Amino acid sequence: MNSSKWIWRIVSIVSILATLLLLIGFVYAIKDIQYPQAGQTPSAAQPQENHEAKGPEAKKEIKIAAIGDSLAKGTGDNTGMGFARRTVNELAKDTGKKVILLNNLGINGLTTTGLLPKLEERGTQYVLGQADIILLSIGGNDLFQGAESAVKGIAGTSSTATGLELDPKDLLKGLPKASTQLKAILERIRAINPNAWIVYIGLYNPFGDIKDLQIPGNQAVSSWNQAALETINKNSNMMLVPTFDLFQHNLDKYLSSDHFHPNGDGYQQIAERIVQAIR
Amino acid sequence: MNSVLPLIKNETIKIIKKKRFYVILLILLVLVPIFTYAQMRSAEQTRAKFHGDWRLEVQQQITDNENSLGSDRVPEEWKKYRKVLVQQLQYYLDHDINPNEPNGVTFTREFMANSITLFIPLLIMAIASDIVSGERTTGTIKMLLTRPVKRWKVLLSKLVALYMFTSLTVVAAFVITYVISGAFFGYQGFNLPVFTGFQITGSNVDLSAVHAVPQWKYLLMQGGLVWFVSLTVASLAFMVSVLIRSTAASIVVMMAALIAGSILTNMASAWNSAKYLFMVNLDLTDYLSGTPAPIEGMTLGFSLTVLSVWAVAALIISFLVFTRRDILN
Repeated sequence: MNSSKWIWRIVSIVSILATLLLLIGFVYAIKDIQYPQAGQTPSAAQPQENHEAKGPEAKKEIKIAAIGDSLAKGTGDNTGMGFARRTVNELAKDTGKKVILLNNLGINGLTTTGLLPKLEERGTQYVLGQADIILLSIGGNDLFQGAESAVKGIAGTSSTATGLELDPKDLLKGLPKASTQLKAILERIRAINPNAWIVYIGLYNPFGDIKDLQIPGNQAVSSWNQAALETINKNSNMMLVPTFDLFQHNLDKYLSSDHFHPNGDGYQQIAERIVQAIR
Repeated sequence: MNSVLPLIKNETIKIIKKKRFYVILLILLVLVPIFTYAQMRSAEQTRAKFHGDWRLEVQQQITDNENSLGSDRVPEEWKKYRKVLVQQLQYYLDHDINPNEPNGVTFTREFMANSITLFIPLLIMAIASDIVSGERTTGTIKMLLTRPVKRWKVLLSKLVALYMFTSLTVVAAFVITYVISGAFFGYQGFNLPVFTGFQITGSNVDLSAVHAVPQWKYLLMQGGLVWFVSLTVASLAFMVSVLIRSTAASIVVMMAALIAGSILTNMASAWNSAKYLFMVNLDLTDYLSGTPAPIEGMTLGFSLTVLSVWAVAALIISFLVFTRRDILN
């Protein structure tokens, strides 16, 4: 009976204490959830500065960040690597150095309008600030807005370009605004990271095999690339990697089944070009 | 009331002597290290991928979630959840605080948030489902009722003992999780700030009321919510135990209800009146962390009310049935 006495004493005391503790927590929780008070939040720390001033080629370890649209993300590549990871692999092979992909911040369907506010986010700035090489792909969605759905229609009916929703003339309409925004993007990235190499992936014309879209598409893409070059040429650490010629007569070989994004081979070609430019 | 206290004492000693509570402790001691180890392995892997920089990891999480927002295959309510998640992660990044800082306290917090709907209720049922039906299976209920005490007092003593062990179980779960995970991740982390107060309207997060709480206080609040859920589950299991003669059957009934709840929360957002079921309302810690509730219109006050109504109804039924029923064989 003595042990029973002790069991009772210990259990009752401990359980009463436990109940009280939990009850206090419960009251706190209700108070906090029902009447939240914006108290002091810890102040944001300053973004880290990148003090290293050398170019990427001099470093032991090369850090790469990719940002932009679905091309940056690697949509269409069924290995999921995209040009970002392929560039990392190729560069590692080529230089023998350790190459790291910090982050791939590519988002499907992103336009220049969508990218600008992203550059103000702390997380984005942190990633870009650390990178030695920044791979940027943007603009395709600005230029070919609506084109993707138009092509889907064509592929579905497999007829000639009759039900075309994309007006060739519209291709050039959004160009001035978008290229101003591209300029702003490049300058913003430059300000975030003054030392990194910024590699801009030039556009290609995914509609080169559609009669009505071939010439206006080519024109739109080359004036876009030209507009991009105007900013890029003024800065020694920026470069444009052209892809227009790669795809011009190889659409069957390098485009994925959605007829808009490159496939694995296409991304591989882009990655090899990038490596040629930066090694 | 004087005659109830010895009865409670008797019940407490029975629970201890029948080793019900030890079973609970044993389950915790076996399972928590397994979960901790699994968590440690997955944390190691992600850390290696992101070169030990949590900011890169969080940023990639944001980007991945933003990408899935564009997909038509993702259901709308998941998109809503992900939009909220993105905004919260962004907030953590903006304030330079790692939401998943690996340490014993963070693991305990995460673990408890995940076990509130199923694991903790399961432990509670180990005691609750047996407390009345067990006496009937063994036939000892007759001895208990032949004593010169009112029946409701017998039942009340069982209920109080059950509630005592519910509190003990919740605290034990916290303590054991902390002690074991601390051995893997380190025992520090009590003062780490955690954000709470995200107010969700639609798919937008109102950040005006967000404030940082030290993690120990967050754990305390979480404990309170887990405790409330446990009491509700205990009351319901208690009722089932009164109604059903066999312990095994009463465990099955409660388990079925809980599992149905976890399935429903995943797909019930279209069926609005499911929010009046108790098992959909068990995830109280969601309100603390700012996770959107499974069904539109659920708030902390709503969930507490639903749970209380169910618990009180269960207790009323238990007492009515127990005091009136004939005890045969």
